[in-house]
Amino acid sequence: MIWKRQIPILIVAVVGAITLFGWFIDQPDIKSFVDDDATQWYDILASFAIILGALNLIKLQFQKVAKKKKGWPYSLFAIGGFFFAITAGFFIKSLDNTVVWGAHVTTEGTLSKWIFDYMFTPLSATMFSLLAFFVASASYRAFRIRNFEATLLLAAGIIIMVGRVPIGSMISSWFIMYISVLALGIGVNSWKKNKMITFGVVGIGIVIVTIAGFLTGWPIDQPGIFYLPILQEWIYFYPNVAGARAIMIGIGLGIFATSIRYILGIEKSYIGE
Amino acid sequence: MKDRQFWIVLGSLFVVFLIYWYLGHPMFNANRVVMFISIVAISATLLYNIRMAERGEEFYLRPIPGLKAVEEAVGRSTEMGKPVLYVPGIMDMDQVETVAGVIVLGHVAKMTARYETSLNVPVSRSIVMKAAREICRESYMIEGRPDMFHDDMVHYLTDDQFAYAAGVNGIMVREKPAACLYMGKFYAESLILAETGNSIGAIQIAGTASQAQIPFFVTACDYTLIGEEFFAASAYLSQKPELIGGVRGQDMVKAGVITIIILATLFRFLYEKWGIGFDVVKLLTVQ
Amino acid sequence: MNGLTELILKIGKVDRRWIFIVLAIVVFIPILVPIGMPIRATVTTKVVYDTIENLPPNSNVLVSIEYSPSTKPENHPMAISILRHLFKNDHKVFVTCLWPDGQFMAQDALKQVAKEEFGKIYGEDYVLLGFRPGGEAVIKGIVSNIRKLYTVDVNQTKIDEIPMMEGIYKFSDFAFLFTVSAGFPGTVEWVQYASDPTGVPMSSGVTSIQVNEVMPYVQAGQMKGLLAGMPGAAEYEALIGQKGSATSGMDAQSIAHLVIVLFIILGNAAFFIERQRSRKY
Repeated sequence: MIWKRQIPILIVAVVGAITLFGWFIDQPDIKSFVDDDATQWYDILASFAIILGALNLIKLQFQKVAKKKKGWPYSLFAIGGFFFAITAGFFIKSLDNTVVWGAHVTTEGTLSKWIFDYMFTPLSATMFSLLAFFVASASYRAFRIRNFEATLLLAAGIIIMVGRVPIGSMISSWFIMYISVLALGIGVNSWKKNKMITFGVVGIGIVIVTIAGFLTGWPIDQPGIFYLPILQEWIYFYPNVAGARAIMIGIGLGIFATSIRYILGIEKSYIGE
Repeated sequence: MKDRQFWIVLGSLFVVFLIYWYLGHPMFNANRVVMFISIVAISATLLYNIRMAERGEEFYLRPIPGLKAVEEAVGRSTEMGKPVLYVPGIMDMDQVETVAGVIVLGHVAKMTARYETSLNVPVSRSIVMKAAREICRESYMIEGRPDMFHDDMVHYLTDDQFAYAAGVNGIMVREKPAACLYMGKFYAESLILAETGNSIGAIQIAGTASQAQIPFFVTACDYTLIGEEFFAASAYLSQKPELIGGVRGQDMVKAGVITIIILATLFRFLYEKWGIGFDVVKLLTVQ
Repeated sequence: MNGLTELILKIGKVDRRWIFIVLAIVVFIPILVPIGMPIRATVTTKVVYDTIENLPPNSNVLVSIEYSPSTKPENHPMAISILRHLFKNDHKVFVTCLWPDGQFMAQDALKQVAKEEFGKIYGEDYVLLGFRPGGEAVIKGIVSNIRKLYTVDVNQTKIDEIPMMEGIYKFSDFAFLFTVSAGFPGTVEWVQYASDPTGVPMSSGVTSIQVNEVMPYVQAGQMKGLLAGMPGAAEYEALIGQKGSATSGMDAQSIAHLVIVLFIILGNAAFFIERQRSRKY
């Protein structure tokens, strides 16, 4: 029982405390442990632990094939791919014996490199490319003007999407000003529900923008506040950074609190408690 | 102020540190003393609140819809006779978010044991697989249903990010779980998982502290736990006093941080404009 | 008018697979028939360019490659452009990788730029130190003692036998760091463990999705500018005067973004019409 409970808690407490407070200690051995050894111990453990995962994967796939469960032919691909990759990495260096072990994984002309270039790369790129379509369908579904915050999200999203790409720099700030006047008209109409006032506001707005445009010569990027690339830069630099920093601080505190609970032995979920 | 023992221990440690400091603080990196004091202060605040909660003090926690929905999601799966899919992120146990995800898995496993719903937990790392198995086994035993637990409910897929996403998508499309829970650290695969979950009509609850992925989960999932809410999830679900005390302690520290930000901005303004005071940026910069 | 309303309502309920098909078409066409939209460099990209342009001659520059084939369209053009700029100005380039896939990407980039375009000599003008496992531990190792971490390079040649490694013992022996990053470990870890503690200036090229995570560091001055996604890569290609795959991809990205905005507007129009109808009845 002591091995399953007290010893693991002690290990976590001691190693956690050394790693945390070791950062303040100017002693070479402790500094070396904190800076190098602690994280490397973990990586060594994780590297050997992968054998557990691999065995579990192969066991499940073999079971599927043996019991002819639904979709079992696909498991043949999983098993085949698994052994193919192991063979390429551990047993086949190159056709001639000029390549050194270790370097054979990335050297041109080896089986490992071939697997990377012609199997792994296209498959990874395909999965990542799904994001382009999913972003479109997710935006289409989610960006609805339900309330003020949703409208703000929609407006910011459109400004960033269009302002970030070259087409955004081709859209004149005067066009955006006209759109803004129309949007103001919609807002006034929802508030006052009076056609005369709405037409008045929109009409005056259009006249002001047109006169200003003629006087200034319609420069594409002035006034800057309505030029999409400048507007998206402002959104990135100020509201976005403010929100990002606030979330970062909150997340940092959450990470600290969780870690301290582990070091002090309050949280014992890693041993199943 | 109520916890005498706490203040005595804290006071003693403070006196010991002062004596150590005035003796020349051997082996201590003096450049980092501000950080050291901050860590001690934050830890003390957390511990104080934990102790207060353990002594019976009641703390109010605002309701988080996402956590209330977890039980509803499991109930929905039970009614529909479909499994619950739980994804504990794609990183290893060295990430605190993965640890938090595994903790929440323990609570979800208790619910699935109670309602006799099947639970499917595909993982991306071997150590996470072992930790998740232990916690699920313990949860099923606590609920008195050890017969329902089997090792293969938590299974390893692959370490690779997009291969894992492909594997989980395959599970979603084939098994059509009624509830998909994403709790942990995610990267670009988050939207792939969430959109596929949406396409099969599952109720989706996500929790992550990965800043860049929060917007995708908010867009595609029914409920999202953002940042700190995710770390507080274990307190909400277990209602254990020590965990609730920890959440309150975090909030007190946050109030302190806000105060320091405001004061530091003021001091910096006075120093840079009129040379009054001191360079607070130098004091707060970590060496 | 009724017909238009019904059409908008139909679009509001469209199966997402139609959106996928439309998007695929509008992305594909500009790749086949380039439009050639003008690229305007943003402030963050210009700062990266100016920082590299103003490096003292013959500087030792560390380039860290942390991306995989999945983000190659965004990150690879950045790596190529940065290497072109560094080699054009005759700086010494040391390449490390925190991701295993990064080593493959680095090899491709160096083969294309260093070997084929500039005819640089391996070991004298550039060196690929390769991938080491450990994440942040690798960064900490580079900061304290690079030779303890890297005893051989990617070709298994001893570090001591590589001429340009002379005088390079730790991170502060470099004049500048540029990281091309797609996640963890990456830009944030380099800022936290290397650049900020040692004061060595750094810049980064990241995927679009990471920009808001990394922007606080840029704004605080801990990073000198940023290449933000494929637009950032295209802007950098425009600044160095050599167009590449990022520039050709921007036409497709522009049109795709416009189409997504159009779908959002139509979706909202349908939403309003439905809401009005449900209030009416």
